[in-house]
Amino acid sequence: MQIYEVFRQEREGDPMVHVGNVQAPGDDLARQYAREVYSRRGEATRLWLVPRAAIEEIGDAYFLRPPIERSYRMGEAYRVTVQKRRQLAQEGAHES
Amino acid sequence: MTEEQRVEEFKRAVQAGRKVEAGDWMPDEYRQRLIRFIEMHANSEIMGALPERDWILRAPTLQRKLAVTAKIQDEVGHAQLLYRLVEDLGKPREQIFADLISGKSKFHNVFHYPTRSWGDVGVIAWLVDAAAVISQSALLKSSYAPYARTMRRICWEEAFHLKHGEDIVLTAMMGTAKQRAMMQEALERWWEPLMMFYGPPTPPEQDKDLAWGIKSRANEDLRQDFLTKYVPRIREIGLRIPDPKLRFDESAGRWVYSDIDWDKLVAVARGNGPASQQRLGFRRLSYEETAWVREAITGGAELVA
Ligand SMILES: [Fe+2]
Ligand SMILES: [Fe+2]
Repeated sequence: MQIYEVFRQEREGDPMVHVGNVQAPGDDLARQYAREVYSRRGEATRLWLVPRAAIEEIGDAYFLRPPIERSYRMGEAYRVTVQKRRQLAQEGAHES
Repeated sequence: MTEEQRVEEFKRAVQAGRKVEAGDWMPDEYRQRLIRFIEMHANSEIMGALPERDWILRAPTLQRKLAVTAKIQDEVGHAQLLYRLVEDLGKPREQIFADLISGKSKFHNVFHYPTRSWGDVGVIAWLVDAAAVISQSALLKSSYAPYARTMRRICWEEAFHLKHGEDIVLTAMMGTAKQRAMMQEALERWWEPLMMFYGPPTPPEQDKDLAWGIKSRANEDLRQDFLTKYVPRIREIGLRIPDPKLRFDESAGRWVYSDIDWDKLVAVARGNGPASQQRLGFRRLSYEETAWVREAITGGAELVA
């Protein structure tokens, strides 16, 4: 028996979202189970079955979010830009 | 950090809202409580399919037959989802089934009662499922994330069961005097099990499942919520609730009801309900009769592998 993680797409163009898993002895039955358990009401336009063993998980917080200052990558760092524009606009008004 | 400190830190974290995944480290007590809690939930789904199963052939119209069948398939599907969670926590399915059919593990008290009429089918699908939706919605906030996620799907499907049950009840209430009497009689038999549904009013601070964040709301809190939502809806359609003491106490802001015999609930849940042994016998029989299917499936796997 093998565990397959099930991903579902609910509408064309949507991302594949993890919805759960099924246990089956092989791909054929896994397909049947996945449809019966995760799309009985036609919720899926597409299902992905991935053997659990094939999933490589990274859950290490230090690795994913190292404590390094990274505000320069985010919009917040550019709040000052708004002030710059305001300042320039005012200066422009003086000149004319 | 000592083991004890690690456990305390974990407890504090889940109380503060941390979500736990299957592969994360967890204290043994948390794991054991999760297994027991989810296993009982799963057993209830699969045992809950039995009372309604009796009515597939007796349902009055083709539409109703299909709806009852679909509901039963959903309940078995819920059990499938929940058994997977229990297996991932470390208890194999064979063991889960062995404990269920030997009477070692429990299933919900409402499934220990017989279904005597079509009225029961309506009352169960409407009110038992309504009660279940309230407790299962509270589980959306469970500290065990795989359980909380599973609840999203389950609650979505329960909504259909509620509609199906309500429609059966309303149709009968719009019918003949005999049909209305059938609904009234069913409600009278089901009221006590419904009042027992959430279990005794254990003070929240003594409820270990609450402390670990496995569930998020106290038993009495859920019962009050059920009464607030459903007492008016039941009365509105001309049904009488068989509890002369039932009323909303405005000053206390809560429902008052007749004393509940909690010893009876314990006895029923231990397998002494009116239909407990018959249901377990049936589950045992069907488990034995389908042994060849399980063998064919796993045997097939060995051939492929
Ligand atoms: Fe269910
Ligand atoms: Fe249901």
